[in-house]
Amino acid sequence: MKLLFEVMRPYKKLAIITFLALVLDIAGTLYVPTMLAGMINQAVESSSTDFILNQGIRMFVACCCASGGALLGNYLCARLSACIGRDIRQRVYDASLTFSGSDFEEFGTGSMITRTLNDVNVIQQTLMLALQALVPVPLICVMGTVLTFAIDVQMGTTMLAAVFVVMVLAVLAVKNSAPLFEKMQTLIDRMNVVLRENMVGVRVIRAFGKERHEEGRSACVFTDYANAAIRVNWIFAGVDCFTFLSMNISEVVFIWLGGNRVGAGAMEIGSISAVIEYAMLIMFYIMMAQFVALMIPRALVCLQRCSDVVFKQPSIRDCSVAGTGEPQVEDDDVVAAFKHVSFRFDDADEETLHNIDFHCRRGKTTAIIGSTGSGKSTIAKMMLRLHDVSEGSVTFGGVDVREMTQHELRSHIAYVPQKAWLFSGTIASNLRYGNEDASDVELRHALDVAQSDFVWGLCDRLEARVAQGGTNFSGGQRQRLAIARALVKRADLYIFDDSFSALDFKTDAALRRALKSETKNAAVLIIAQRISTILHADQIVVLKDGRIEGKGTHEELMESCEVYQEIAKSQMKGGE
Amino acid sequence: MAEKLTQEIDEQGTAGQAGERGAVDRAGEPTTAGQAGKPTAAGQSSEPEAAGEANAPKTTDPNAEPEDFETPKDTWGTVRRLWDVARGERWRFGVVIVAVVLYAAFHVAAPAYSAHVIDVLWAHIQIAFAEGKPFAVGWDTGGRELAIYFGIWMTAFALYSVQCFVMAGFAEKLNLSLRKSLTEKLNRLPLKYFDTHKPGEVVSRATNDLDKMSEVLQTGLLRIMTSVGTIIGSLIMMLRFNVVLTGVFLVFTLISTVVTRVVSKQTLRLASERQRYVGELTAAVEEAYSGRLVIKSFNREEASSADIHDLSDKLATASRRADFATNAISPFIRFIFRIAQVIIAVIAGAMLVGGQITIGVFQAFFQYIYEVSEPLTELGFSINTLQNALAAVERVFGILDEDEIEPDPVPELAAKLPAALEGAIDFEHVRFGYDPENPLMRDVSFHVKPGQKIAIVGATGAGKTTLINLLMRFYEIDGGHIYLDGVDTRSMSRADLRSNFGMVLQDAWLYEGTIAENIAYGRPDATREEIIEAAKMARVDYFVRTMSQGYDTRVENDAENISQGQRQLLTIARVILCDPKILILDEATSSVDTRTEQNIVHAMETVMRGRTSFVIAHRLSTIVDADLILHMRAGTIIEQGTHEELLAENGAYAELYRSQFA
Repeated sequence: MKLLFEVMRPYKKLAIITFLALVLDIAGTLYVPTMLAGMINQAVESSSTDFILNQGIRMFVACCCASGGALLGNYLCARLSACIGRDIRQRVYDASLTFSGSDFEEFGTGSMITRTLNDVNVIQQTLMLALQALVPVPLICVMGTVLTFAIDVQMGTTMLAAVFVVMVLAVLAVKNSAPLFEKMQTLIDRMNVVLRENMVGVRVIRAFGKERHEEGRSACVFTDYANAAIRVNWIFAGVDCFTFLSMNISEVVFIWLGGNRVGAGAMEIGSISAVIEYAMLIMFYIMMAQFVALMIPRALVCLQRCSDVVFKQPSIRDCSVAGTGEPQVEDDDVVAAFKHVSFRFDDADEETLHNIDFHCRRGKTTAIIGSTGSGKSTIAKMMLRLHDVSEGSVTFGGVDVREMTQHELRSHIAYVPQKAWLFSGTIASNLRYGNEDASDVELRHALDVAQSDFVWGLCDRLEARVAQGGTNFSGGQRQRLAIARALVKRADLYIFDDSFSALDFKTDAALRRALKSETKNAAVLIIAQRISTILHADQIVVLKDGRIEGKGTHEELMESCEVYQEIAKSQMKGGE
Repeated sequence: MAEKLTQEIDEQGTAGQAGERGAVDRAGEPTTAGQAGKPTAAGQSSEPEAAGEANAPKTTDPNAEPEDFETPKDTWGTVRRLWDVARGERWRFGVVIVAVVLYAAFHVAAPAYSAHVIDVLWAHIQIAFAEGKPFAVGWDTGGRELAIYFGIWMTAFALYSVQCFVMAGFAEKLNLSLRKSLTEKLNRLPLKYFDTHKPGEVVSRATNDLDKMSEVLQTGLLRIMTSVGTIIGSLIMMLRFNVVLTGVFLVFTLISTVVTRVVSKQTLRLASERQRYVGELTAAVEEAYSGRLVIKSFNREEASSADIHDLSDKLATASRRADFATNAISPFIRFIFRIAQVIIAVIAGAMLVGGQITIGVFQAFFQYIYEVSEPLTELGFSINTLQNALAAVERVFGILDEDEIEPDPVPELAAKLPAALEGAIDFEHVRFGYDPENPLMRDVSFHVKPGQKIAIVGATGAGKTTLINLLMRFYEIDGGHIYLDGVDTRSMSRADLRSNFGMVLQDAWLYEGTIAENIAYGRPDATREEIIEAAKMARVDYFVRTMSQGYDTRVENDAENISQGQRQLLTIARVILCDPKILILDEATSSVDTRTEQNIVHAMETVMRGRTSFVIAHRLSTIVDADLILHMRAGTIIEQGTHEELLAENGAYAELYRSQFA
């Protein structure tokens, strides 16, 4: 709710105008039956057609007010909810940008997409319906009752009682069915999950002969859903019938009572129809409000899910005295260093990295090798400060990375991620991602170094279209473009996270040779699985289960490090 | 909605469409108010739906349903089939139809009778006034009429309740049986279907489409039936009361119909414009979230934020327009009817003064105006949704009509395998093509002795998976034979055949359950010790223990917290636990590094000792010791033999080998 209030704040004026439009709408709506009653009353007493015409014109004005108010109200509701939806969405997205790797993974990509798109949509639509259906309820109840009191006190009292009873029952109905609605929602999700699993896993299911089992599993979910849905339908039918009943009863009661009051000379005959009309309108609004009210819990869940994102404290923040830590990259030989670093994910029992200690020197290549899950990629992410150390420290240019801004740190690093992700646009727009002012000459040079000659074979060359994620290029091409992108951004440290895996041996070798001169004034950190990629590195760090098993050159490690020898043996087997 | 209510809708401003129109699937916009607030599958907070897309981001919005304003191809055929499915529940229809007819009659009679009641009351009041006495309602002075009037409404109420409650279970039961037959059907569909259809498509049929149907059966159909009855009845009554007034009313009805048509065209256009922006924003957000690592490491947060802000601004404008257009129809139509009312009121008022009509008639006539105008505005819309729902059901039937795999031979006739399987496999003159017109394999033969290790190599798309598809009978061969221990695989039941294989697939499939449950998928009775033992052999035990709840951690959100490599290791553990006779490793090690791959292969070798295994791998280093290497290209086997034999041949394999170890 806090989020909603915060987002609402700039729209106070708009909200007030919207409210006034709704007042106009309701007032006009109630005025029409009032006029009609007046017409009957006048008609039975005098025979003046002038009055009828006069009354007709007033009715027409009332109609215009009601319809104008309704239209204006509709427009403003749509506008207000669209603005609020947009603002929530933008805040969710901006919050996501401040998240560290593990912050984001806490939600998961799928969930974050849902929160940014669907959840906000539900909030927006529900807000619009609530504005249109819930806000008018107190208005019409009060106005309708007041108008009835103006006609006759006894009728007014009866109206008050009727409104009260209907209102109480409506609130009870909503209260009782709300949990059922939430249950429905989770059941729909379950249906989706189970069906999806059945489709995606069809080969496994058939290989294991589990067709019957899966049929049973889905039938179970379907039945649960059907039962819940039927119960919800019953509730709806109940609400529906109850409203119908209360309208009937009140109509008969008001004619009866009205007859008596007219007989007592307390009111006029035409006013009976006006009172009945008020009662009908009030009940109708209450019924509509019930349906909308049932949607609110779900919207609140969505709102909560968005709030969770917006108000989450990013686990990695720039320290308050940020900017004080200027990395001294120019005159230091050691560009970056891990000093006895340990790292553990918040919810894990075991450390992912344990006592990692090494330096990346200018002009030198440092390589990290290890098996899947040994923590290699985590090291790259810690260097970029996408994760923070649990113990020890990561320094860049002699300064602890936690003492400089993230922006400052990352401006010194060029990173090639494991998954070579390109953005939709052109090759040029992707290459300029880290350096918008790069000239075409620079782009061309980077492409040459990255062995991306294939670009010149494309009909639009640098302007060739790149699909989302770069899916219109092969894995190897994507990797080379990602490398070129990193090269365009001049940096003090280049990190290649398993970036050569999709390249064949020949390209791999050529690329590394070209890189050598390109990066001679910078430090290079290569994370790899293939020994051939890192054979000539100045320093190789061997990682196993998050611990350093050996450090040195290829020759040294072949002598001393058992893990390294094993890796080498497995990869050289049958080859060379 | 209560028909009685519609009499009031005319008078109420915006709430009407809040509930009623809320049920409209606004041209693909997630339904926020399906069946007046009932949660719907579209636009729900469905994590799995979005999560499923997340691994392979697509620009498609799961909510984008271009079919929203579709009409069925064969309306009556679909209706007839639906009627067949409803067998056993048809009595409900009978009851409802009788109730609807009676209800409409009572409903139309009520305002007319109310005119009578008011006139009687007024007459008595005037008599009393003439005598100078106060008047109170007694049994003879209007009370009897009032009681009868009450009786009419109570009967209508009873009939209405019957309709609502009888129909409450009908649609969902229909849905349940359709959904069940859909999953059963899925198990009889050939693999080809799954390889050519997106899962989201089928899921949407089973959830969104069927929900659309139940919604319409629940409320839409009922509303159409009662509307038609009420409109006809009311118009007759109006004509009986006064022809001139009715004429005026009909003119305005015509105007409103024209306006509705014009406006709804506009609405459709605006809705599709909004849908376009939804699509753009979805694509942009998916892209940004998938590439967030790059955004951060290149310090592009501000630029990316600006992009998303810009798109969400555009969407907000589009959605404001679309929502307004959708919501504005009702007040606009009401405005037209209100003007009609004013004109009729003035004419009728003059008639009242002139004594041509009574007070009761005056009031009753207005009630009839309400009765007719609202269902009329709603009717066009209701018929649209009905057609829409039928089109949705037709799509479901479409799936149910898909060609099925040929049934297994009856158990008595099915060929049986020897109890102690050897594991010999023979392909003899196998011919196959995914498209029979365009065969890939023309004549493939090879022989595998029990316990041999077979390596399948070749570029992506060379047909390695095809071979496995045929072996497992995921696809049926077009010619030739495949024998398992000398028994033609086509003569046995599929389940029997497959129970002898254990396979690890390229994309590791985990389902929503605990890690332990996933490992024990093939053997639900396995003990925890056995599960852990299997995990250890697959070298995944360490990883599982680092998860928050170890083996009891639930796999959720499409297992995105588990890396591809770990997922594969988990599926290997699953196969190890099953201890199958024949093992298939379909690129199982592609995202596990060489050393781990070696570890797995070692573990597998232990398990598979004396058993047949098929290995598909990119890296030649792991298969040089295979007993038989099948080198595939363009769907067929171009070379076969041992590593040494193939090198000696100095053909394509030798070249491939040299290129990898240059």
